[in-house]
This record gives sequence, C-alpha cells and structure tokens, in this order.
Amino acid sequence: MKTYFLILGIGLLTLYQVEAQGHGPIYGLQTPTLAKGGINMSAAGMSIATEDDASYMLRYTFFYGITEDLQVTLTTPTVIERLENAPRTRGNSMMPSNGDIEAALWYRFFSNAFGVGKRFESTAILGVSAPTEDVRGQVNVGNSIHGAISTGYASRTWYAWLGGGYQYYFEKDNQQLGDLPYASMVIGYRPDVFMGDYPKPDWRVFIESLVEFPGDNKYTGQQNFTDERSKKVLVGPSFLGLYGAWGISFGALFPVVQDLTPKAIKENYRVSINLSYWL
Amino acid sequence: MKKIVLLIVVVVFGSFSSNAQIQKIDQEVFGMDCAPCAYGLERGLEKLDGLEKVQVSLNDGKAYLDLANNNNLSLRQIQEEVKKNGFSAKNAEIVIKGNFVEQDGTYAIQTGKETFKIAEATSTNLRSRLKPGIVKVKGIVQDEEDGNLTNKWKLNITQVY
Repeated sequence: MKTYFLILGIGLLTLYQVEAQGHGPIYGLQTPTLAKGGINMSAAGMSIATEDDASYMLRYTFFYGITEDLQVTLTTPTVIERLENAPRTRGNSMMPSNGDIEAALWYRFFSNAFGVGKRFESTAILGVSAPTEDVRGQVNVGNSIHGAISTGYASRTWYAWLGGGYQYYFEKDNQQLGDLPYASMVIGYRPDVFMGDYPKPDWRVFIESLVEFPGDNKYTGQQNFTDERSKKVLVGPSFLGLYGAWGISFGALFPVVQDLTPKAIKENYRVSINLSYWL
Repeated sequence: MKKIVLLIVVVVFGSFSSNAQIQKIDQEVFGMDCAPCAYGLERGLEKLDGLEKVQVSLNDGKAYLDLANNNNLSLRQIQEEVKKNGFSAKNAEIVIKGNFVEQDGTYAIQTGKETFKIAEATSTNLRSRLKPGIVKVKGIVQDEEDGNLTNKWKLNITQVY
C-alpha cells in the first residue's frame, strides 16, 4: 500500500510537471551549476527501509542562481509515512531525508573550466533547517544547521565528486537529536552510446558511496550516554537522464557496513527518484 | 554647399553604423558538460537582441551564432552571457564587417562598439589586402580573461572577403 502511495505521488508530480535537482548524483555531494538568475525546480520521492518499517516522503526544492557561483535553495517535505525511529541521515545530497524545511546557500568558490565539457570545481554549502514535526523517534526535534564542502570533476565522459558534511541539531526541551558527520564519493560515466549532442537526450550512470557517523540522541540527565557513534557505509548505483531543460534521476543505496550503537536502527536500503526542470 | 557636405557625412556615417557589425560568431565554451547547461546557455543567448540563429553543441563545446542584419551586439555581450551561465568563454571565430583603420602604427577593425586589433599572427598576404574603409573578414578572436573583458580584442584574420 505504501509503495503504491509513493508511485502515485511520483506519478502526480510528473503529471503536474513539477521537477527536481542538479545534474549530478542523487546521494553524494556534488557541485551543481545554475546560471545567474536561473531557476531550477525539483520534486523528489524517497524512501528509507529499515528492518521493521519504511519511510516515504516527497520533497520539493527551489533553486535560484543569485550569481553563476552562488545559489540559494529552499526545500520542503511532504511526509507520507514516518519511521518510528528514523536513521539520522541527509538522505539526499541536496536535501534532508526527514521532515525538515531547509534553506541553504551553495557557493562555488573554485572553478576551472579547462577544456570542452571539462571543469574542476569546489562548492561550499551552508544550510539552516526547521522541523515540521515536534517529535522524531520519540525525541524532541530542534532546528539544525548543515555545512558541507564538495569538490568534483566533470567532463563529457567521466565525473567524480568527493565531499564531506556535518549536520547539528540544537537541543529542544532538554532533548537533542544526534549529529551527523558524513562523507561521500561518486564516480560517474557516460557511455559512448549516450554521447549524442544537444538537444538529444543524454544519460549517465553513477556509483555512489556514503559514509555516515550518526551520533546518538541526548537527553538531559541521561546517565549512560557514551558519546559513541554508529558507522555506516552505503554503496549503490544511480542514473541520470537529461533532455533539454528536463532531468530525471533515480538510484538506490545499500548498506555494506553497519556498525551500530545499541539504539540505532539497522537499514535495508534507500531509494530515491528526482524530477527536475530548469526555467 | 555646407548642407550638402553635412548630409553626405550623415549618410556615410549612418551607412557605416548599420554595416559595421559582427555577422557570425562561433564561440568556444569550456566547462559545459550537460544538456541543461546547453539549454540554459542557448536560452540566455536567445534573449539577446540581434541574434538570428543560436545553436549550442556540447560535443564541440561551442555556441554557433548567426547575427541579424543591423544588429548592435558585441562579442563582449556574448562572452558575458557565457560567463553568466557558469562557463568560460575562450577563442571565438567571427565574421565581421567593420572600418579598417590605422592607429599609432597598429591596424584594427572597428565596429560600432568594439575594436579588433589585427594580431601579428595574421599573414602579410591577408594584411596587404585590407584597405582603409569598410572591410569584411573572418578570423579568430584570441581568448581574454573572463573577469576582465573590455571592448578591445586581438583578431587573427584567416580570410578576407
């Protein structure tokens, strides 16, 4: 039933031509480009499955290019099904996985376009978010801040990004969600068969990996808090298709390492799909 | 008599203004790797007044532009649009009609907005075919720093019409 709900939601989004994110990976940090004055709208459907249950969420994101090197984003969720004990994760490179409304600045502080279709670039991200729910996994949810840095190489054939970030939730009513240091690495490739010139569609495939070190939640007066962290490594494929102003990407991550603290929840997989449109 | 001379000057100047212009630009673009990148650049260029045809090629890394008759566009505007889209404008092959002049021992072709100084790499043979007045040439405009664009360029002429 939940799966049907997700498919229905994604179908509706397609029908109404609402759209999604950058032209890079889904889960890994990237270095998106947007023209000065450019607008990108995206809609994403995402799910995280644990041993016991699965979450389903739709998320809408608006991107605006203040300059060619600075863009602002605003993302809001529609949570269809929450997890009782949600894993702490970003869930997506450009948006939170949980019910947070997030505004962020993306600053491309380095860019070197050194050949046809080729460039090195680095981007810093700073975001603030506010929760849409009071309690998450039986813990009061506060506002949070997120910072990350990503550097990458793009060409017509190969892509690679390396990045790291940190999300910190503020305490609310003597309770605090655990923080999240994480890192990501992405390798991308576009086969010759998809090397058709614009405006023909082009596709690229990515292998994405994500390493997360989520901290446990804290409670005031907690006696047995050890400040230990879970360690997760997730790997999976994603695909990106671009046609004119449209983009669609979808992919999945599967845990290959889960060294969890006693209160952390074990994951089975994450899946995501994004639809994008550049105005 | 003075009125006639003035009229001739006005007519000649008016004629020069409408003729001196860039007619075609093949602008090399570095760093453009995806369809939405090309779409964004194409759309941005199409918004500029004076372009008759715009075609962007990802595989060539170029924007092919045909400019309208009596356009008032400058190469600087084109390259600034490329930069605005987050990419780097490099060499450009242009077809230009302009006023060939000598200034302080150097030769240049002037349009209404820009000056294209003849690069030393231009062959003596081609240079010798240029006479003062309106000329039409094809050539490669050498790359300038994206953040430091002016209205002055160096042009290596490859063909004189």
